[in-house]
Amino acid sequence: MIKNYIKTAFRGLQKNKGFTAINILGLALGLATCLLIILYVIDELSYDRYNTQASRIFRVNEDLKLGDNSVQYAVCMPPLAKTLKAEYPYVENAVRLKNAGSWHVKKGNSTILENRLAYADPSLFAIFTLPMINGSPSSALTEPNSVVITETTAKKYFNSINVVGQTLLLNDNTPFKVTGVIRDVPKQSHFNFDFFISMSTWPDSRSNEWLRSDYNTYVLLKDRTDAKKLEASFPALLKKFSGAQMQAQVNMSIEAFEKSGSFFKMNLIPLTDIHLKSNLSGELSPNSTTQYIYIFSAIAIFILLIACVNFMNLSTARSSNRAREVGVRKVLGSDRKQLIAQFLTESVLVTFVATLLAFVAALFLLPVFNQLSGKELLINGQSLVWIVPSLLLISLIVGGIAGSYPAFYLSAFQPVEVLKGKLATGFKGSGLRSFLVVFQFSISIFLIIGTLVIYNQLNYIQTKNLGYNRNQVLIVQNVFELNRQAKTFKQEVKEIPGVINATMTGFLPTSNWKNTSIYYKDATLDQKKSLFPQSWEIDEDYIKTLDMKMVLGRSFSKDMPTDSNGIILNESAAKFLGLNDGINKTLYRSQGGKHSLDNVKQYHIVGIVKDFNFNSLRESVSPVVMTLAENTGALSIRVDTKNLPALLSQIKDRWKELSPNVQVNYSFMDQEFDASYRMERRTGQIFIVFTSLAIIIACLGLFGLAAYAAEQRTKEIGIRKVLGASVSAIAGMLSKDFIKLVFISIVIASPIAWYLMNKWLQEFAYRINIQWWVLVLAGVAALLIAVVTVSFQSIKAAIANPVESLKNE
Amino acid sequence: MMQEAPMIKITNLEKFYRTEEVETIALNKLSIEIATGEFVAIMGPSGCGKSTLLNILGMLDDPDAGSYIFNDIEVAHFTERKRADLRKHNIGFVFQSFNLIDELTVFENVELPLIYTGVASADRVKRVEEVLDKMQIMHRRNHYPQQLSGGQQQRVAIARAVVNKPKLILADEPTGNLDSSNGNDVMELLTDLNEQGTTIIMVTHSEHDARYSHRIIRLLDGQSVMENIMV
Ligand SMILES: Nc1ncnc2c1ncn2[C@@H]1O[C@H](COP(=O)(O)OP(=O)(O)OP(=O)(O)O)[C@@H](O)[C@H]1O
Ligand SMILES: [Mg+2]
Repeated sequence: MIKNYIKTAFRGLQKNKGFTAINILGLALGLATCLLIILYVIDELSYDRYNTQASRIFRVNEDLKLGDNSVQYAVCMPPLAKTLKAEYPYVENAVRLKNAGSWHVKKGNSTILENRLAYADPSLFAIFTLPMINGSPSSALTEPNSVVITETTAKKYFNSINVVGQTLLLNDNTPFKVTGVIRDVPKQSHFNFDFFISMSTWPDSRSNEWLRSDYNTYVLLKDRTDAKKLEASFPALLKKFSGAQMQAQVNMSIEAFEKSGSFFKMNLIPLTDIHLKSNLSGELSPNSTTQYIYIFSAIAIFILLIACVNFMNLSTARSSNRAREVGVRKVLGSDRKQLIAQFLTESVLVTFVATLLAFVAALFLLPVFNQLSGKELLINGQSLVWIVPSLLLISLIVGGIAGSYPAFYLSAFQPVEVLKGKLATGFKGSGLRSFLVVFQFSISIFLIIGTLVIYNQLNYIQTKNLGYNRNQVLIVQNVFELNRQAKTFKQEVKEIPGVINATMTGFLPTSNWKNTSIYYKDATLDQKKSLFPQSWEIDEDYIKTLDMKMVLGRSFSKDMPTDSNGIILNESAAKFLGLNDGINKTLYRSQGGKHSLDNVKQYHIVGIVKDFNFNSLRESVSPVVMTLAENTGALSIRVDTKNLPALLSQIKDRWKELSPNVQVNYSFMDQEFDASYRMERRTGQIFIVFTSLAIIIACLGLFGLAAYAAEQRTKEIGIRKVLGASVSAIAGMLSKDFIKLVFISIVIASPIAWYLMNKWLQEFAYRINIQWWVLVLAGVAALLIAVVTVSFQSIKAAIANPVESLKNE
Repeated sequence: MMQEAPMIKITNLEKFYRTEEVETIALNKLSIEIATGEFVAIMGPSGCGKSTLLNILGMLDDPDAGSYIFNDIEVAHFTERKRADLRKHNIGFVFQSFNLIDELTVFENVELPLIYTGVASADRVKRVEEVLDKMQIMHRRNHYPQQLSGGQQQRVAIARAVVNKPKLILADEPTGNLDSSNGNDVMELLTDLNEQGTTIIMVTHSEHDARYSHRIIRLLDGQSVMENIMV
């Protein structure tokens, strides 16, 4: 019996090649997109799950509020890890990680700048699943100047993985002993390092300070320990340690501190939540957000729905052609169940073919998608284990759902009626079909509007006046490599023709250098009149080089010796302190150590700079203060030249003269800026691609429907033409029904899209308003697409020779 | 001699069609008996209810009132399922417009009823070949309906109707779409079948075709007005 179903199904599909192609193509496209999105989502959800103890690993976050400033940190105090392990029996282990920045590593006679290095406590390998293939996991990170490297790194530097005991020369040729080689850290990890340096190498790690936070701290809880239990003990712990130090250093009890509205808190985040739910200050690498997971999953479901709707629509549209078959089968003894089975078989067969096609398409599209999404997704033996069964399942479910409507609809035909040819035919017949078309087009229009809004917002971010000029700025990184000669380098660079100006500091709007500090409005260091801003060290050329604007006062100047105690505020810092006219007023900063008035440093305000963006544009500009100090993090050079390569080589020459062994590292400020929005841009691009796909699939469906509507009315068209109707009159008659549906879709989709996209925009502190023309444009685009699709079929039907169509009867 | 029970006995059969404005009485208290082995022709003007009657006799449709006893079983109120079951084992249909399935070959079209009655595959081949042979269309077994002439298509349809060896064949204007020579061939086939014991009820507009039958039932406005016994 099933053989007969398949045979009939196959012949039927073959006979209606156009219909079959549209159906399979649309479904395959939808499924392929879905598959890619599923791969993406699964990849995102799999972060850090490679750890066999993942469910027991938590990171300690800190939540700090000082006056009106609040910050959340992914880092904690230096002694926290060892204290937690010592004080709580249910804390099985604890480990600290600290990003070590960029280091030069010697390979033969040259050096390579590496930037995936971290300091780590010896307990690292007892907590995270980072299998060691060479060396002893328990002792590898005990001794100072030990380093554990990944397999790939070992091969890169030694061409071998058996390198325990070998020496690597890091930073200024300091010898480090390789004490272990581990497998590469999986891509799906919230940290990704190639070098783990023993924490004991870093003297600060022994610090006992409880009032600053700079170590990413993880705990491994004993089996069946509730993380809440540990969290509940944090207040007492903080009181005991941080409280004591606060009393000693700033002469304030923790109760008084809290009374003033400030607080210190700590909380735990499960390891597996970090990648998607944590976006704090001091993350080991930029994380993603669940928002994108939701958006992409929704798109996947939308696309699949659109493809299913196509399928149902085309199948039922074709139903009148099959009504006679149903009638005959019933007369010959088929009951309804058998007919339902037959139609379901047919639709599952189609979905199955589409699924196979989708799988092949996904294989081919994966590299493109990876490039687009910046991921390294792959389909291998491992992923096939779940892909194959889930694809089969999907084709069964989709085939079942998509086939069920036609199956029940068609099988309910009464043979007497059908054989008499009394079936309600024509496109108008089905209200459900119209509903489905509206549904499909509403989604498409929604996606078009969404894409336009996202595109506009990203464009806005990229062209917004940021308060500084990022174009034509060359950044030479790590000028500290030149030691004492950094200043000489700056001087020499400034003299090169084509260089307009240069400023030496690591604190740039586009860099990751961040430093916060507390400033007080009065000398008593009253908590209530405090500011907790970014505190940057700059030189006299900073404001001019970066093209920032002073709104009040002046920039630092060489001619003013008192500027070493001067300070520049940005507008938001000035506003925060109520010092909008604050030139020459004074700010105070504790020097640390014992709390006393002679431990306070005074700064006089020399100027207020116009706010400039240095955070993500999702956030508004936060307070920044700038002091005059030498900082050799980078040299930013404003250039004006037609011959950039020549200028670059001159700059490189100057560097080589001063430091022949260390390579110069440079970048461009505008590129750095773009890099910080890469995630957003990528998301935008992926969104655009998916939207286009959704629209293509919807159009395929409409194309098919229009073709059927035209086919069913072939005879009518023939008669009308014989009676003298023009081609345009007929094309118009055929297109009218569809156009009406698209209009309804516009009315439904526009307000929903407007509302939801506005909600999305709320996440940006700097955002566009959705213009009315966006809605109009989306509507017109949808209408145009529909008209083109439908009229192609309508015109084809209208210009056909009526003799042909009438002969068929 | 004991009177054998009739194969078909309908009593006071009624069928109405309601549309918005009018109610049509398609069958009006119609009573007919048909014995096993009879060849009956039904005649009457267009719209008098011939097809309606045939559809009810074939259990494709149910009556609104009255009784329909088929082989001693009252089927007037059977469910669709039960009717389908009874139908596929006992009744074969021949239509004016052939109603072959375009996607299936000649062989497969004829095979279809056997599939629905659950005949084993090897058996099916044998039986289909047998009828195709008898209908002289064996050489066309792998062709599709569109590739055949009207007469050939009707022979395939008859082959399909008889392949299950039904006790009753219902034919609604079987020669309506054929020229007279092809029409006569079809009538010969039906006569042969009848001589081999199959009961045949045929609707026709052709007095010529009606002459092949044993008895003509003439309908007018849903009622039997006359019966002619042929000699
Ligand atoms: N589905 C229906 N709805 C309404 N009226 C119907 C329906 N089917 C049949 N009729 C009416 O019932 C009556 C009998 O129809 P039927 O098809 O049985 O006629 P017929 O004798 O077969 O005619 P013909 O020789 O033209 O085929 C007609 O008046 C017809 O209009
Ligand atoms: Mg009729």
